[in-house]
Order: sequence, then C-alpha cells, then structure tokens
Amino acid sequence: MGATASHLGKDLLSEYQELTFLTKQEILLAHKRFSELLSKEDRAHPNPRVPTEAILTLPELKSNPFRARICRVFSTSESKDGLSFEDFLDLLSAFSDSATLEIKSHYAFRIFDFDEDGTLDESDLEKLVNCLTGETDDTRLSPEEMKQLISNILEESDIDKDGTVNLSEFQHVISRSPDFVSSFKIVL
Amino acid sequence: MDCMMDDRKDVKFTRFLSDGSTCSTTPKDTSLYYPNENVDQLPSTQAPEVPWPQEPSSGDPEEAWGAGALPVGHWSGRHADKQSTLPVRELAKTIQEKRAVRDTRNRQPCSLGVWESWGPAQIIHSKRLGRWTGWEVLSSLLLWRHSLHTIESRFGVSIKAYFIFLRYLVYLNLLHSVFILAFILGPTVVYGRGSNNDFLRFDEKDSPFDFFLGTGFLERSPVFYGFYTHSSLSYPCLNTPILYFTGILTILTLSLIMLVRRMAIGYKHSWFLGKRHSVNISFKVFCGWDFTIHDPDAAALQHGFIRNDLKLNLEEQNFHLREAQRTLTQRVVLYVLRVTLNLFVLSLLGGAFTLISFVTRMSNWITIDITKFWLNLLQYLPAITMALVNLILPHIFHKISSLEDYSLATQVNVTLMRSIFLKLASLGIFLFFIFRTNRQECWENQFGREMYKLVMFDFITTICSTLLLDFPAKLLKERYPSCWLARLSGKPRFLIPFNVLNLVYNQTVLWAGVYYCPLLPFLGIVKLVTLFYFKKFKVLQCCVPEQRMFRASSSSVLFHFMLLLGLFMAAGTLGLDLMSSRTSSCGPSNGGASVLNVTGVCVDSLPRPAQKTFDYLASGAFAVPLIMAEILILTFFAILRRANRRAIDRLKNLLVMCSSDNRFLVLVLGECSATKKSDSFNLSDLPSTPTGPPNHPPNRPPIGLPKRTPDFP
Repeated sequence: MGATASHLGKDLLSEYQELTFLTKQEILLAHKRFSELLSKEDRAHPNPRVPTEAILTLPELKSNPFRARICRVFSTSESKDGLSFEDFLDLLSAFSDSATLEIKSHYAFRIFDFDEDGTLDESDLEKLVNCLTGETDDTRLSPEEMKQLISNILEESDIDKDGTVNLSEFQHVISRSPDFVSSFKIVL
Repeated sequence: MDCMMDDRKDVKFTRFLSDGSTCSTTPKDTSLYYPNENVDQLPSTQAPEVPWPQEPSSGDPEEAWGAGALPVGHWSGRHADKQSTLPVRELAKTIQEKRAVRDTRNRQPCSLGVWESWGPAQIIHSKRLGRWTGWEVLSSLLLWRHSLHTIESRFGVSIKAYFIFLRYLVYLNLLHSVFILAFILGPTVVYGRGSNNDFLRFDEKDSPFDFFLGTGFLERSPVFYGFYTHSSLSYPCLNTPILYFTGILTILTLSLIMLVRRMAIGYKHSWFLGKRHSVNISFKVFCGWDFTIHDPDAAALQHGFIRNDLKLNLEEQNFHLREAQRTLTQRVVLYVLRVTLNLFVLSLLGGAFTLISFVTRMSNWITIDITKFWLNLLQYLPAITMALVNLILPHIFHKISSLEDYSLATQVNVTLMRSIFLKLASLGIFLFFIFRTNRQECWENQFGREMYKLVMFDFITTICSTLLLDFPAKLLKERYPSCWLARLSGKPRFLIPFNVLNLVYNQTVLWAGVYYCPLLPFLGIVKLVTLFYFKKFKVLQCCVPEQRMFRASSSSVLFHFMLLLGLFMAAGTLGLDLMSSRTSSCGPSNGGASVLNVTGVCVDSLPRPAQKTFDYLASGAFAVPLIMAEILILTFFAILRRANRRAIDRLKNLLVMCSSDNRFLVLVLGECSATKKSDSFNLSDLPSTPTGPPNHPPNRPPIGLPKRTPDFP
C-alpha cells in the first residue's frame, strides 16, 4: 500500500479528496484496483486509460446491465472509450456512500439517457426496461406490455406532458424513493 | 451562419435540462430577448389564470437563456446561484471540470497537510453518521454489517429488509433490558429482597426439564414476577412495586413511540400523497436496479424479480379493467363465492380458537398419575397446538384467497391480514384462558411461565426446522439431485411475509409477558441473535429467494404496522389483567396492594397542590379540553393537507403551461432558422414566421434569435 501511495503523490491525493466524495483509503484502494487493470505498456503512459473491456471485468460491474452505459457516461475521452484514473474516481465518487441525491440522480439520468439527447423518450425507456428485465428474447416484455408500461410511466412521471421525461421530472420521481440512495451504490 | 447552426443544435440538447452545468455548452455571447408581441402569442398568456412574467430578464445572458429554455425556468436562476456556492465536489462534473471551477473560485491550488486531509475525511465520516440518527448510528457501528452486506449482494434489498427488521428487534430488546436492569433488577440487587433466601439453590427435585418448562429452580429465580417482593426500599413514592410498574410502563411507551416514529418515516415516503400522485411504476423502472448486487446469479434473479414485478403490475392494471367490465350475474356469483369462502375462513378460525381454548384448559387439569415425560409433553401441549395451527392455516388461507378472484397484491395482503389475525387472536385466547382458569397460589408466576414456554417452544422449533428439515433437504439435493424426494420438495424459498409474522408474534409474546417474567427481553436477545445466525445460514445455504418482490420501504411500513398491532394487543392484555382486581399472593404487590393502590398511596403522600394537580389531570375536566384541542389540531392539519394538494395541482398545471410555451418557442426558433437558411442565398427576402401574428413587424427579430447575428436584416 505504501508504494502505491507514493506513486499517487500526496498533493494529488489531497486534491482528489477535495474534489470527490471519497476518503483517503477509498482513493488508495481505487488506485490499486485501477493499476491492476492496466497492461504493461499502459503503465509507462503518463495518463493511462483502461479500455472499456478491462473495466467491465471488475466484479463490481460485471453483472450490472448498465455497465457499458456507466463507462460511456464517465469517460472523458473523445471516442467515449476507456476510463482514465480520474474518470474512474468520478465514477466511484458518484456511486459512493456519501454522494448527494442530486449527484446520484443526475448520473442515473445520464446513464438511462441512451441516445444522449437530454431527455428520456420512449426509445430510451424501452431500452431501460429491456436492461432491467434482461436482454434476451424470452426475458423481454412483449410489445403490447412494453407499450402499456411506457404509457404508464409517462402518465405518472411526465408532469409537463411533452411526451418525454426530463431531468427535473426524473429527479422528482427519484426524490420520493427512499431506496434509491441505498441502491445506487458501487463500493470497491 | 455557423453560430446559428450551433444554436439549433444546442436548443435540441439543452431543451429540457434544468441543470446549470449543461448551460455552459451554449455560447457565452448568445444574448436573447423576448419581443412583447410574441409573448402575447404564448399559449400560457392566452390561458386566463396562469401568470407569466411580462418583463424578460435582462441580466446575465446565460441565465436568460436558462430561464427561456427550461420548463422549470422560475427556479433555474436560483439554481445557478446555488451552483456557485456548492462545494466543488457536489457539482455533477468531471474532475477536470471541477478543477477548473475550483481554480476560478480560488486562484491558488491548495495542498493539504496531514491535519487538513484528516479533517475532511472526518467530516465525511461524521456526515455519513449524521445522516442516520439514534439507533441507526448504533446499528451501523455494532452488528452484522458484513453479514448484511453479503446477504444484500446475493439476494438484494428485499431479503435484507427482513434481517434489518430482526436487528431492529434485537436493539429494541436491548433497550428493554437496560430499563429492566435500571428499574427492576438494580434496586433488587442493591436493596435486597424480603425474607426468603431460598433462591438460586438446586433442589434434588429439580431437573434439566425445568429450564424448558420454567418450573422448579427457575420459578424461584429472578426470571419470574414472584421473585420481586418488597425490599427495604419502601418510601411512599419510591418502592419496589412503583419502580417495577414504572419500568414496564416505560418499556411499553418507549416501544410505542419508536414504532410510530419508524412507521411514520416509511409511510411518508410511500403513501403520503395517495394514488392520484403516485409514481409507483416509475419507481420500479427508475430505481429498479440494485447497483449493489455483484453476484451474477443474483443479477439474474434481480432481472427475474423486476420482470415479474412489472408484469404483475400490468396484470393488475388489466385486472382492474376487467373488473370494471364484469356483468351483474358475474358479480353476484363472485360475491356469493366470496361470502361463502369468508364464512369458511371464519369457521376455520373459530375451530382453531376452540381447539386452542380446549387444549389450554386441558393442560391445566393435569392429573398426577402420568409419567414425568408425558407430563412435560402435556405442559407444552398449548404451545404445540398453537404452533401447528399457525403453521397450517396460513397456507390454507393462501389457497382460499387465490379462489376469491382478487388482484394478486390484494391476495397477498388478505392472506397476511388473516394470518396475523389468527396469530394474535389465538395468542389472545390462550392468554385469556390462562388468566381465567388459574386458581393457583401465585397466578402471575403461572402466567409468566406460559409466556416463557411459548418463547422457548418457538425458539426450539425454529432451530429444529432449520437443522432437521432445511439442511438435510439441501444435502439430499446436492448428493442425489434426481431423487424423487428431492424433486418433490422443490427449492425451499425464504418466504419473507411468514418469517416476519413469526418475528412479530415472538415480540408480541415478549411484550405481553414482560410484566410477569421480567427477564424475557434478555431471553429475547439471546433468541434473536441465535435466530439471526440460523436464518442467515438458511438463506445463504439452503434457499432461493421467492419470486415476489418486496420493496424495502413499503414492506418496512407493513412490518412495523404488524408489530404495532402486536404491541397494542400485549398492552391491552396487560391493562385488562391489572385492572381486574384480583389480589395476588406473591411479587411486589404482595398483600393485596395492586398497582393502583400503590400509586394512590404515593399521590396521598404528596403536598396538597401536587395532589390537586394530579386529581385535575385524572379528571374529566382535563380530558375534555385535551380532546377538543386534539380535534382542533387534527382538523387544522387535514385542511392544510387539502390546501397543499390543491397547490400541487396548480403547480402541475403551471408546469404543463411552461412546457407548452417552450415547445412553442422551440418551434418558432426552428422555423426561423429554417427560413434563414433558405434566405441565406437571397438576403433581400425577409424571414416570416408562419405561426407568428399576421401584423408582425418585419424588422423585429423573431423569438430566440441572437441579437447580434450579423447577416440578419
């Protein structure tokens, strides 16, 4: 652990503490896990990126149906592929115990917004429901069920009746679910 | 030209985002204003009641953009202010962006020393602690965090809710034990007890069975009421009976307050606004996935849960549709069927109660000439009967409710309510008959002993069922998966409702018996802790979770509501016992002094003004104004609630209006841009907006266009 700590640098560590919701131990652990994912040649790179496939092998993400979306949302690279260490910290910070409901719901919204147009429309909702129920054909809902479900969701959550769920409407729903903060959590 | 195209793209993207951070993607130099003629055109202006700000905001261009583009424009200004004061880590941005924000806030990057880095970590820790209050701090510090995490990651939140409930009961009993120690055991140890010193000595007549039956040695021990006689502590207002009574009363009151508080928390979240404003299905979709799950099997299960839950919900909806379309004959047949089945349920319940009362009376006519073993068994007969009845009947109720053509959720609730009624009522009948048929010297001890036996028997059966049924079944399935017995038994499921029912029942017995057997909470702790490990073993080793999904919040309301019913029953039984003026021959109120007498003596010893105050508090003259005041307060809250609901409706309408305004504006903007694009070849043509007013002055720029666009006429 000591070697990892010196590798990370004290100033950087305190900066990360200031900018994220993570504690010192959590940052160090994240760094250790991140370094394990790096390949030999990447390590020499000053600001290495772990490719998305490697991130997806983390046991914490492996069985999450939104894993690809999570990586995409938190990636800062041009091609939206792969996470730098800071992206990784961003991810863990948003999913940490002490992140605010506001942060969590903001990122949840971006994860669920598959076409990244800033609203959850019918196709986003359909993809979301498919992720929840399982992607294979026999686990999916039938088209009629899906249609009924989506119209139910829009009827409940689409307060301004524009046919889509926007961030504030989404946060309105989330703020009334006491379970969300405890379940929107990934801890290494 | 490029600027225009960018604007269009940005409009599409930031159209409905309320977050200030995304506003930064719009060009900084874009400034907007709204011509008043176009404001008159807005759908919300044409609607009579909804107010609309006539003067456009002329301050920060970014804010003006936000206010125009967002459906929640009224708040976004405040939102932006809030953004600038929030701690950097609470911004929804990447580390790079946060760094930039921080650097603009304070130009020098700070470097933290050991102390400074320790400080924020402590603040985070204390914040985490601060979010939970009271009990939850203790519970998060003390018990089973790791086990709960394991269970959660494999089975999700719903099974964890059962274990959290169990842990809550452990803490409740721990608290009770502290009060018992302070009010009952402590004074007895310090001041000693009356004359007889024959306790805690084994007789040759005592046998190990006594431990299970609560007789012999245990009867003379501090376990039961009879042990606590008058001590040297005998002031008028501070003596053993008063302390004893105060202790028990504190326990029950405290339980009531804690339960109501916990129930209110859950209730506020789940049913506060009623059906009309419910976001039930949206919850299931938006908050459906439990991100804490790591295990692939558990993830597959979670998929199954969610799928079934959603399907169930849709089915329920279709069921209600079908229900509305039933013909008269169908309705009549259904009601006849339901009445018949309810009569059948009633007769089942009646039969069960008769059986219990018969067995209870029989166990009190024990004749001497049977052997010791059969005697012991007979002693346990009421407990065995109740356990059997409570084991079999809920399953019959489950079958019956499926015949009644209720919706699925109602079926489960009906079964649960019938089962809890059976459980509590059979306990009540048992208590009643014990109370009626006892003619013994020290009937309080007898009563306490029955409670002790119920707790012990429940304990033994749980352990035995896990060790002798679940575990062998699991082994059998592992060794011989194709064996017919293994296939017959199927996969054991962890039925949360029935398990919770057991816990509630157990706690009710503890509350009902604590007056007569003050050490029951200690026994309760031991029992619950053991139960935790057995149930954990059962869940992790032998079970697949059941298919139905129970959301943690709403189920915890249900759990605590059942517990509250149990508390009321226990308190009611106790109150009835104390009110009935049966003189007792043992215990603190020995010698005909009942609790009421003792408190009367205490009040008489007080100075006159205090006496008068007590008299007044106990009289009707005080009760009537009190009730009136309560009614007034309740009415006030009811009115407030109705007004709030109306306000919510109004605000919702306002939002719909704002949103239609926005769509209108975006439409106009889009058309403008399109016109401009086609006009860019021929600059002499003037742009026109088809949806705009016919008398629209041609030289006024349409809505949403940047003022300084150079190629605009």
